[in-house]
Amino acid sequence: MGQLPTQTYHNIGRKKVDSDVLRQKLKLKQFEVKRNVFGKYPHVGKFFADRGIDPGKIREHSAKLIGTGAIVGSLLFLPPVSVKFLPSPPELLDKFKNKIDESEGSVSKKKILVETFNSILPVRPRPLTRDEEKLLEQIFGNIIGIPARATLEGEHLNTTYGFIGAEQHLRRYPGDSVSEHGEGIILKEGMAPGLGAWGYFSQSRESLTEDLEDVERWYAVVQTLYLSDWNKRQPYLKNWYKYRKVLIVNTQNGNAVVASIADSGPAAWTGKHFGGSPEVMEYLGGSRYKKGAVIIFFVDDPKNRIPLGPVEYANLKLGSMLININK
Amino acid sequence: MSHIFYDHLIILEEVEIEVKNIASSSEEREELWKLIDEIIHHRVLESIFDILPREHHEEFLTKFHEAPYHEELFNYLKEKTQQDVEKVLSEKIQALEKEILKEIKG
Repeated sequence: MGQLPTQTYHNIGRKKVDSDVLRQKLKLKQFEVKRNVFGKYPHVGKFFADRGIDPGKIREHSAKLIGTGAIVGSLLFLPPVSVKFLPSPPELLDKFKNKIDESEGSVSKKKILVETFNSILPVRPRPLTRDEEKLLEQIFGNIIGIPARATLEGEHLNTTYGFIGAEQHLRRYPGDSVSEHGEGIILKEGMAPGLGAWGYFSQSRESLTEDLEDVERWYAVVQTLYLSDWNKRQPYLKNWYKYRKVLIVNTQNGNAVVASIADSGPAAWTGKHFGGSPEVMEYLGGSRYKKGAVIIFFVDDPKNRIPLGPVEYANLKLGSMLININK
Repeated sequence: MSHIFYDHLIILEEVEIEVKNIASSSEEREELWKLIDEIIHHRVLESIFDILPREHHEEFLTKFHEAPYHEELFNYLKEKTQQDVEKVLSEKIQALEKEILKEIKG
């Protein structure tokens, strides 16, 4: 039997205390590990202090360096070993033409896309260079037919190539339950215990529009919390990212989805960089797909004409693709 | 290369689930995530300096400060320590995960 309404405050109180207690414990732990390293190695503490950097926040420092395009410009290192020499768009065009000649045009565009990824992307995901992103923008525009941008209106994610992990359904309105989110295998992930970063999608079941249902169904999670200017540019950034459309492309099979950003995360220490709703993950890689490498770019869609959901590009004619690539 | 050169070694799945269940808002969740992140960085740095000979500390710090994302840092550490640094750090991170879980559940 469930709790009486008059007893639910017990849950609220307990949850709040748990979270506060954990925060205090983690703060103590953080203090302890910091004291250990700087106690043993005071010159390390001095090094960081002289440069005004808290080593605990080295991620922010790194994000700033990457944001300024320092990836291949470091003086102390050779260019990263995983940076490949990129083919030019005409070289790619030749490659596609050859593929068509070989297979009489029957080769699927997904296969071409995957082969292209294999030839230009590093095996281990990492933030891409601007040149790599520009090349992918052209490829997506011409092969998938979606105007996708790594940088849109001056905004850029902390990484555009990384691992996506399976997320749960988000509570859309007070009282929402997982059984309201469809049927079958996609219900298996269950409901996230907390709300998404933008709270409820609507205040009641009645006010939930079809568009908002689609937003939750095809939602993506990105690490807005690690953007170097996230705290400084509020509330602008929070509004800018809310339900922002992104193109997610599975680099292993070419499956692509247009999704909307509806939560922040995952934590940097999970080995993942993005998250996808059960529906997004199911389309990208099937019902057992829990984690995989993807590219995520913003969709340049100011007139809101591109629908959320799977991108069906298998039926587009290769000939038109080649003409477009030539432009 | 990722945001921090050792990022690919850090996968604390069980901690992730616990934090998700405990945090009552996205702000709270992000605050806990960041605290854990800070704990990890300090512990990893300590582990590195434990095995890196003292005469190389400043050079490593300079390289790390200039390009904390650079995968070449692993090669540098392997050369200077003559150890499988990725294995050493993986073990330290696994031990740290247990410590954090103990804090959460304890």
